[in-house]
Amino acid sequence: MWLNRNLTKRQTDVGQLTELLAAFFEVGDDGLETWLKRRFVAKFFGARPHPFIAAMQRPSRATLLGYAIEHRHFLRQWVRSCAQIMANTDRDDVIRYELDNLNTEFGGGRGATSHYELLLRMAESLGVGRERLLAYEPLPDTRDAIAAWQAIATGEHWLEAMAATHGLELVAHPGLRASGACLPYFGPGILASEEYSPETRAFLREGFESDGAHADTGLRLVAGYANELGLVAQVQATFLRSLDSFHRYLSARLARANQIENEL
Amino acid sequence: MKTNFDEGCALCGSTWGDLWAPIEGEQLFFCCRICEVQLRNMAQEVKRRTGWSTIDRIDLDGDFTGRECEARQGERKFRFSIRFDGQGEIAAFQETAA
Repeated sequence: MWLNRNLTKRQTDVGQLTELLAAFFEVGDDGLETWLKRRFVAKFFGARPHPFIAAMQRPSRATLLGYAIEHRHFLRQWVRSCAQIMANTDRDDVIRYELDNLNTEFGGGRGATSHYELLLRMAESLGVGRERLLAYEPLPDTRDAIAAWQAIATGEHWLEAMAATHGLELVAHPGLRASGACLPYFGPGILASEEYSPETRAFLREGFESDGAHADTGLRLVAGYANELGLVAQVQATFLRSLDSFHRYLSARLARANQIENEL
Repeated sequence: MKTNFDEGCALCGSTWGDLWAPIEGEQLFFCCRICEVQLRNMAQEVKRRTGWSTIDRIDLDGDFTGRECEARQGERKFRFSIRFDGQGEIAAFQETAA
């Protein structure tokens, strides 16, 4: 499946496959950070963008609820992944980065509302109270993606876990259009549209304003330490594994949205 | 039952892999188990929605992010869009206009 989706659907001999793989993983003069960003754009924002991202250009109530219901499971895993990185790293700047990220995403504090709380408020504004939202078990694709991220966080080098985790924040990076993305993460008019609840706009705005910076800082740290520690290939491979899980997870958001739609 | 892929995997056209499995009475080639499960689920859903007892052919266009398909049985046609989850189960299915 990986060969089909990333290299070629035509079976090739070992020699040609070697060349294809080498070209795929070649970092080149642009550096690892650019390679990671390029792979992310190709997978989620290419000629056939992920269907969830397509749906987010003009999200329905069901789409936003599907997002909220599955995403709270994602954010719970986020905490575990960041904590594992902090537990395993010996670099102070990484620890400070992870602490800041954790507080933004889950803990809140210093006058800021966490993404987790904003998510719950969005769902409430859409008619699903937090008690009801918190009662939803994750869909199988969400559950499997979470298990994959937990396995990365606990079983791989902290630097690989960092790439696997914070690389995903590229999804809301406002600068991806300049990197070739065919669409933004969500419709550009949403943040100013009264068609969407203030709580929905607050949640999306927070991600839009913070995730890009998180990704930039995180991947800059990853690229620097990958070269220092000789872990470039490992980071690339684990990052790609994480993208596969993220792809399935985004599909789960859409599957949940379809469930909600059928209930309406 | 046949698909529009004369060569390679019956669902996606890939020539990797070495899996043969019966679908609707025909031994078809697949690149992987997921593609086999997807095509089997697709055929079952088409028959359920159309009431057809057999399917002669399914033409597929697209990729794992979503496919536009046309099933045929004799002169009858049934067009639909379909998407699968990570286990090969149908995540979204919609009949589309002829």
